[in-house]
Amino acid sequence: MFAIITTNLLRRSARTVFTALGIAVGVAMIVALLSFTQGLKETAAGLVHLGGSDLGVFQANVSDPTASILPDSLVGRLAASPDVAQATPLLLIVEGLKQDQSAIVFGADRAGFFTRGLVLIAGRPPLRGAPEVLLGDRLARSLRLPSGGVLSIHGRYYRVAGIYHSGILFEDSGAVLSLAQAQALVGRPGEVTDVVVQLATGARASSAAQRIEHSFPGTQVITDPQQALRAGANGTLISKAVLVIVVIALIVGSISVANTMAMSIMERQGELGLLSTVGWSPLRVASLILGEGIAVSVLGAAGGLLLGVIGGGLLVGALGVSAYVAPSVTAWGLGRGLLVGVAIGVLGGIYPAWRVTRMRPLRALSAARG
Amino acid sequence: MSLATGAEVIVENVSKSFGRISALREVSLRAGPGEAVSIAGRSGSGKTTLLALIGGLEQPDAGQIMIDGRAIWKEPRPAQARREVVGFVFQRHLLLGALSARANVEVPLIGAGVHRSERRRRALSLLEEVGLAGRADHLPSELSGGESQRVAVARALANEPRLLLADEPTGALDSKTSERVLDLLFRLRDQLGMTLVVVSYDTAVSARADCTITLTDGTIDSANVMLSRQ
Ligand SMILES: Nc1ncnc2c1ncn2[C@@H]1O[C@H](COP(=O)(O)OP(=O)(O)O)[C@@H](O)[C@H]1O
Ligand SMILES: [Mg+2]
Repeated sequence: MFAIITTNLLRRSARTVFTALGIAVGVAMIVALLSFTQGLKETAAGLVHLGGSDLGVFQANVSDPTASILPDSLVGRLAASPDVAQATPLLLIVEGLKQDQSAIVFGADRAGFFTRGLVLIAGRPPLRGAPEVLLGDRLARSLRLPSGGVLSIHGRYYRVAGIYHSGILFEDSGAVLSLAQAQALVGRPGEVTDVVVQLATGARASSAAQRIEHSFPGTQVITDPQQALRAGANGTLISKAVLVIVVIALIVGSISVANTMAMSIMERQGELGLLSTVGWSPLRVASLILGEGIAVSVLGAAGGLLLGVIGGGLLVGALGVSAYVAPSVTAWGLGRGLLVGVAIGVLGGIYPAWRVTRMRPLRALSAARG
Repeated sequence: MSLATGAEVIVENVSKSFGRISALREVSLRAGPGEAVSIAGRSGSGKTTLLALIGGLEQPDAGQIMIDGRAIWKEPRPAQARREVVGFVFQRHLLLGALSARANVEVPLIGAGVHRSERRRRALSLLEEVGLAGRADHLPSELSGGESQRVAVARALANEPRLLLADEPTGALDSKTSERVLDLLFRLRDQLGMTLVVVSYDTAVSARADCTITLTDGTIDSANVMLSRQ
């Protein structure tokens, strides 16, 4: 039976390929978007707890958290708030390193808790005012750069004073400059990306967040990764887009499969009638048709998974966020793509399969006779 | 191959219409086990319809059709009943173009749930039976009309039917090839003992059959039946 399905599909290979391709595009979009949202989620998780903070204060209504711009005068006022134990500003430089586009350079206040939380495992702290940088241990390893080496950020050269480990992936895969040097480097004096906050003992993150947003109009406080994702317009848009595309893919894909199969059973009335005369039960003939529909869809879905993995990368590039969002392909993301593919096959195959059980073999044989 | 005993076919007062077209009217016919019956008649006289009713492909509007006492079309699973009792050969061979001769012969066995290796073995022995052992791996497009029809005969025999129904099996073949296919059908009948009902205009068929009936506009000229039964 399996052999019959494959030979039937091969016989009409152009049609099979086009139907599968249509499904592949739908599945690819789903996989690409899912891998992108997953990547965003992971990024958000890393960004929220930078420096071991409880929450981060960002500019409201930005397309994603790294696009936020805040005045650094905010820091002192935040620190004075009763909910806040410590506050320190960060300026995030993305795509600063040619060798590793995903590494983030953190401009951080020397005296702040962010910098103080970096444990040096080699070298020494940078000299005040000198063009020196600290390197995360993961980045140091991947660039094979020891302390004492030279690192170029946006074309400017910095000596690697030391190597640190903080235990937070984003930090360990990045580098740290002094805030003033970072601001000078990107030409944004007086501006920071966000202010990370450690709360006073006893303060609850959610209520503190509300009070901060209230006292500092134009800011939004992010306390958990899920929220970070929602805060970014990209994140919200994409999770809605995934749903819409799943629905569209199911509808368009199953109509296309149903159409292909309906065409194919009309052309094969003689053949299908024959199967019935030689004693194939209606259920078996129907499962042959359903099987063909599913086979086309699985073929399309498989191609779609491949396209989707590639497409995830392209999407990240197109949205201009490649520096800090690596599309993350998870088994569940692929699984959902495959699931949609199979669902398309089943949905599209059901009607033609049912039609086949209604066909009268004699009718079918006469039709074949012409 | 096991020796099957032929089925007894009883058709009693069967009528069948398609919409306003009355294809058969009060047709009766009897074929004893192992008998060969030929059905003649003009195009449109109801021959194919009669064959389809006997094989349980269609339901009669009135009357009875019993194969060894079973009314196939009334059974809960007519397809299964069909594969247990009847084999069909049509004017067109209706081989699946993408499958080899052997795989085509295996098709009914797939429907019967026969295991792969057993299918293969039986298909090869059937192809040998119809003289096409050397063509097992050929596609239908690589076979001549007569060869294709012999593959179709092998396919019809795959489930070891006790009744073989052939609808103008030589209608698409030239006379020399026709003869070969008819030789095959009647030889198989003699060897295996199945009952054979052949629709054909071909006088060579009625000459070999135990009895011939002629349909005229959906009815049988009974005098004709008497005459041809020796
Ligand atoms: N499935 C069908 N639907 C409608 N009319 C049919 C169908 N099958 C046969 N007929 C009609 O029934 C009559 C007998 O047809 P058929 O049994 O095929 O004749 P024969 O095989 O002798 O040429 C013809 O008039 C034919 O048009
Ligand atoms: Mg006919």
